[in-house]
Amino acid sequence: MKRNWIAATAMVAAATLLTACSGGSSSGASDEKVTLTYANWSEDQTPAMQQIATEFEKANPNITIKVQTLPWTEYWSTLQVGAAGGTAPDAFWMLADHFREYAKGGQLLDLSDTVKSNKIDMSVYPKAVSDSYTYEGKSFALPKDFDTNGIWYNKALFDAAGVKYPDDTWGWQDVQDAAKKLTDPAKGVWGIAAPIDSQGGFYNTILQAGGSIINPDGTASDFASPAGVAGLKFWTDLQAAGSSPTLKQLSDTEAVSMFENQKVAMYFSGAYWALRLYKNPELKDKVDVAPLPQGVKRATVTSGIGNAGYAGSKHPEELKKFLAFLGGTKAAEIQAATGTVLPAYKGTQKPWLDAMPEFHLQVFIDAIDYSVPLPVAGNASEWQGLAAQYLAPAWDGKKPVQDAAKEYQDAVDQVLAKK
Amino acid sequence: MAESIVRRTPGPRWRGKPTTTWPIHVILIGASVFMVVPFVWQILTLFKTTAEVTRVPPTILPGDLSLHSFETFFSTVPFWSMFAVSTGSLALRVVGQIVVAALAGYAFARIPFRGRNVLFGLFIVMLMVPSQLFLIGQYELVRDLGLLDTLPALAIPGLFSAFGTFLMRQAFLTMPKDYEEAARLDGANTFQVFWYVMLPMARPMLAALAVLTGLYSWNDLLWPLIVSPSGENRPLPVGLAGLQGQFGTDYPTLMAGAFVCSIPLVVVFLVLQRQFFAGIASSGLKG
Amino acid sequence: MTNVATKFVRRPTGRRTGASTPSGWWALAFIAPATIGLVVLYLWPFLSTLIKSFQDVPAFGPATFVGIENYTTLIGDGDFWKAFGNSALYTAIILLGIPLAIALAALIEQVGRGRSIYRVLFFLPVVTLPVAIGMVWRFIYNGDFGLLNYVLSWFGVDGQFWVADPRFTIFAFGVVGIWMGLGINLIILGAGLQAIPKALYEASALDGAGRVRQFFHITVPLLSPSIFFVTILNVIAALQMFDLIFIMLRGVNNTALADSKTIVYLFYEKAFVQFHQGYGAAIAIVLLIVIMIATALQFRLQRSWVFYG
Repeated sequence: MKRNWIAATAMVAAATLLTACSGGSSSGASDEKVTLTYANWSEDQTPAMQQIATEFEKANPNITIKVQTLPWTEYWSTLQVGAAGGTAPDAFWMLADHFREYAKGGQLLDLSDTVKSNKIDMSVYPKAVSDSYTYEGKSFALPKDFDTNGIWYNKALFDAAGVKYPDDTWGWQDVQDAAKKLTDPAKGVWGIAAPIDSQGGFYNTILQAGGSIINPDGTASDFASPAGVAGLKFWTDLQAAGSSPTLKQLSDTEAVSMFENQKVAMYFSGAYWALRLYKNPELKDKVDVAPLPQGVKRATVTSGIGNAGYAGSKHPEELKKFLAFLGGTKAAEIQAATGTVLPAYKGTQKPWLDAMPEFHLQVFIDAIDYSVPLPVAGNASEWQGLAAQYLAPAWDGKKPVQDAAKEYQDAVDQVLAKK
Repeated sequence: MAESIVRRTPGPRWRGKPTTTWPIHVILIGASVFMVVPFVWQILTLFKTTAEVTRVPPTILPGDLSLHSFETFFSTVPFWSMFAVSTGSLALRVVGQIVVAALAGYAFARIPFRGRNVLFGLFIVMLMVPSQLFLIGQYELVRDLGLLDTLPALAIPGLFSAFGTFLMRQAFLTMPKDYEEAARLDGANTFQVFWYVMLPMARPMLAALAVLTGLYSWNDLLWPLIVSPSGENRPLPVGLAGLQGQFGTDYPTLMAGAFVCSIPLVVVFLVLQRQFFAGIASSGLKG
Repeated sequence: MTNVATKFVRRPTGRRTGASTPSGWWALAFIAPATIGLVVLYLWPFLSTLIKSFQDVPAFGPATFVGIENYTTLIGDGDFWKAFGNSALYTAIILLGIPLAIALAALIEQVGRGRSIYRVLFFLPVVTLPVAIGMVWRFIYNGDFGLLNYVLSWFGVDGQFWVADPRFTIFAFGVVGIWMGLGINLIILGAGLQAIPKALYEASALDGAGRVRQFFHITVPLLSPSIFFVTILNVIAALQMFDLIFIMLRGVNNTALADSKTIVYLFYEKAFVQFHQGYGAAIAIVLLIVIMIATALQFRLQRSWVFYG
């Protein structure tokens, strides 16, 4: 046994030596050939990311960008292990709810001086998005895109039921009434999809009812307040009226797929579906989008992907250059012109609208005026996972909304209290 | 008792008359249907359109043999490069594991040494640990060896499998001592006995181990992603997982992907099946 | 009867040899590659997990020692007990597959022609990608347009949402688990059956024993070491179940996930999604202890039912 231990120790020692040798070549002059990796989780967007990378390479011949796409289910575990181990991609997409852990853990490249030296005007980005990538006053990611929510609806199904299309005059009751009329169990068609969806669903209605989701200092949630309950009740009412597929149906077949399969007439969600719906020849002529309905007031949550850099990158200077490019007009225009996604950079959104003229996509841009940042206090990836567990009984009609909301609130508050 | 198995001529029936087997076939065919239906359903589905697939009640046969799903699959997933990575890492892992496991298995079975039982016990305990738990430590080692983004990185943890060692130990345990002793009398040393006498006799078991190791290797999903930070070396399951994210409930495309990615290993298994079954049968994983 | 079980526990009868003898050097040379791999790639990560289980480990940055806090939290964590119950239930269902495998193995042994075709058919799921299996079964289980509900409707049985309703998910996984594992179980049990001397059956037939009697008085006792081995393997694998739930419930917004987590899934979620590596480590250690106890218990129990001829 002892000898085996010695052998193992020798192997580890050799390994350490190897790394020590290979680690020496990190200081790079600016004209040295450098390769940077850029990771994302969306095959849909990869062509546009590739185009942006090529554009950057043209201007910076010494830098090569390798775009890589990870499956969504493996993205965060891969990034976490890689970041902790010093081998994360140089540049990668970040989400607001994961951002804090990475920024707090010192994993992200501080872009504050890049912003200053490149004279990047942060006011060109929606404030809600840029704020969510700021930690202790420092910028750690430049907004890539943003999304607000609207009502995606299927004109053919509205026509068939003889219901007027949604528009900016609609209030909550209009949605409830239309959903009821549109539902036709014999045909397997429902008026709306009412899943337990935070970003596209109940966060918006809680805000519309005058609630706040999480309080400003991030210490407590607001689900059991009268506004919180009202916002949740909007969805449970739709379920109770039978105007939506049940929660189980929506678990088997996601809401967006239900919409794509033309089984639901309305679907509250973000701008990011535009290209996918537009590319579908079955849907292109049938689909359009309207603003979210008004409750006590108008509101939508907004969020966006940020382009972040890895603090452990071997080429921080080149990386900063690349990230500044990703946050600039050229990258935004490519995303817009390809219809890929709604770019965060102000004034570059027109080509995105023009790429899909049949859809009234302007509603997503108009929504910026009444948008509220997606709440991401504390360990967001932990408490966000609680929604389905606590709210499902209310959606299924097995528990009064008030009680479910209270339990949900307590559970979220417990996570928020941890740190 | 062990020897009797090796020497026994395999008789197909151990009792009963051949004429009475038809009720047995009926039961077995029924059970086979349960086994095969998911595959049949998969193949039927990949010819359908999305509308056909989501119809209630389901349509059994596709309306027309649309190959659209294959087109979508091959235009989205870089199949051949992923196939090359999958195959390459599989080959490395199978060869490496066979060498490591055969050596260790032989020592555990046939060379008495101090601490043998303790060490073997340790191997067995590691079998019981969920593999996700080793992830970070193994990654750190591969990184420290400077092997990230290489093909060997994909194969390394799989080279040293407690299961393989266990299997090979079983194989050598059940072999008769006579040959070994005869070789020793002829002056062969331990390695020569192992290499010229015992290993050839373990050939069926090696085939079985190769198939099982190949299986694990072919299925690996998270590990290849973690040890390939630059995005090289993506095997097929990664492509398949990405497909699920992108096409959500486009079942025809998903089924086409599932079908295409599974086929290579099924073919290998069909080719090796005789050896494989013989290997398991001779392994001592039995009474 | 050679069998795995006695190999585990039996002390070597041969002369004990240290590394100083020629035989010891050979042993070292043979065993070194596997042992180095074991220590560096398995034992070391395992020990570091053990240490982490007594620490608060954020995703990034230094860990702090917290004593047994992770373990005390775990005892009061409803999610952990739910996952524990799910894993236990899944394991119990998987064990039901063993009698099925015994019966099928015995039947396959009785047919001459077509035996290898059956073996191949039963083995197909084993050589299919788990991701692919998960996709196909999720589709078959779909409550609206899945094949299973359609087939049930022929018999007038109401369909269910098999992988969207927490009352059924574990059972649905169990069926897939049995389906996936049947091939391996059949092969091992089949090999055991072949080793039973034919003479025993002939003798008992002369005594007038029928097939059923033969099955319970000869086949089952003589097969018991194989059954024992298969049971050990299945329990270990079932307690580690992760793939199916990961593929079939995650990635889609499935509300049944919260009530369907298994222990390994919970570990994965804590360590890799919620940034609680220390707590995740504690879950993994408890699972390992459970598996070890379950295995030890089976070894204890085998004395009363496993027959070594």
